[in-house]
Amino acid sequence: MAGKITVLHPEGNAPTVGGKSLAPRPDTLDGRTVFLVDAGFENSGDLIEQLGASLQEHRPDITTVTVHLSTPFDPAPGLYARIAEEGDAAILGVGL
Amino acid sequence: MASTSRLAGVPTLRHAFVPSPVPGRTAAELRGYVEGDNPVSGNPFARDLFDGLTRPLDEADMAGATFEQTRSRLLEPATEDDLHALFLENGWTDKLPIVLPTEERVAAMLAGTSRAPGEVVGRLRAASTRDYWEFTVEQAAVNAVMAGAAPEYLPVILALLGSGYSARHSSISSMSEAVVVNGPIRDEIGMNSGIGALGPYSRANATIGRAYGIGSQNLQGGSSPGISYMGSIGNPFSFTNLTFAENEERSPWEPYHVQHGFVPGDSTATVFRGVRTMITAPSGIRDDWRDHARTIFNATRASGGAVLLLDPLAAQNLVEHQGFARKEDLIEWISATGRLPARRWWAQGLQELFFGYRAEAGEEPWAGYRAAGPDDEVRINVPEDVHVIVVGGRSAATWSVLEGMANGTKLDRSLSGRTVSVDEWR
Repeated sequence: MAGKITVLHPEGNAPTVGGKSLAPRPDTLDGRTVFLVDAGFENSGDLIEQLGASLQEHRPDITTVTVHLSTPFDPAPGLYARIAEEGDAAILGVGL
Repeated sequence: MASTSRLAGVPTLRHAFVPSPVPGRTAAELRGYVEGDNPVSGNPFARDLFDGLTRPLDEADMAGATFEQTRSRLLEPATEDDLHALFLENGWTDKLPIVLPTEERVAAMLAGTSRAPGEVVGRLRAASTRDYWEFTVEQAAVNAVMAGAAPEYLPVILALLGSGYSARHSSISSMSEAVVVNGPIRDEIGMNSGIGALGPYSRANATIGRAYGIGSQNLQGGSSPGISYMGSIGNPFSFTNLTFAENEERSPWEPYHVQHGFVPGDSTATVFRGVRTMITAPSGIRDDWRDHARTIFNATRASGGAVLLLDPLAAQNLVEHQGFARKEDLIEWISATGRLPARRWWAQGLQELFFGYRAEAGEEPWAGYRAAGPDDEVRINVPEDVHVIVVGGRSAATWSVLEGMANGTKLDRSLSGRTVSVDEWR
């Protein structure tokens, strides 16, 4: 049997990541405001538009607000703050 | 997405899926998607959506996931066969055989730089939605050994990995990198800028590019299809990242790196990003060259960058018979010649994502492209995104066009590459 050898680990150093809780959930969406966020990928705006239209037809008691990320590659703290302030829930649509 | 959120400490992020694809579907089809079933769960999409938004949080949702990934410098001793199997199983290779990074081999590799083994080289990540991983000179040297590189190549490899541009980006577009090396180090380490420079005929070209790729995937924490690599078709350039040296001695113009702030005596490496396509012209530089060139430059991606690769004979003909004594005149001609109707420029995939908000903000030329009539012809690439590199061995006056971005338009989160110093890693 061939002898054993020792080699170095090829990976880099992972960052330390702290656990994050999901945002609190409303118990119902009745009468609530839901943000529909278009991530900006190809056709995701069209998908979000149809989602909004469907919700309007089937759940008219829910208020929807459609917003578009200027880029999906950067954080959007202003938008996050607006959703926290004005919304009860948010759906991010990727649409690939 | 699930992998990204888990690594960000949110392993229970709630998803609901519609069928694929979304692009190219009509409004009615998309409406059918959101009113139909989730193809993953089999439940009505709307039910999963409402469940995700209103189901009370459980302990796992509240806790998230904490990662403090520490590991040993050495792997457990094993036979060579078992180690080769382990490296394959863990996704630490490009699926071609590697050289096992023993302590002796890594120590020999480290002789190729004056930098300390424990010094941090930089940070890499597979996508802008992921956290950076950090790595040291020794960890980079481990990957250089695996790729079959020689110690004298290490400064170029460190420069590439230290650039911050991962050669294993997760982009759905299957993009690769291309690497052009300039300056004295080309000859010092035996890089090929002549016959077959882009092919498998130089250990330096091949293993520097391979080390850049293997190093990127390992030092950033992996490149796993469907998890941290999403390029649908994949890219054969990624094996060695099209790594070659410019044939400066046979070029009628200044070397590429001199255009970008370096002096001829500097050694540099340029990372071109977003490399997906190379079109080789059907004939050399003849009287009808401009017609051929127009066709080829018009076929490249809008604002994807254009890199004209010229054999020295082709470059000579452009200077002597086509009136391009100055490289900048050739660049301007290419930029002015490659054009598309504005509607087609904007209709290419992801143009809105990359340039739409810039147009809205009034940034030129994108704002002008937005204001243009649909049939107005706009430049495919601005001059800053057109590059001319002389490479080849004078066996034919051949020329090719490569898509790639460097030193020009800045795309989001460094998707456009740049020229970096090799000398500081010697």
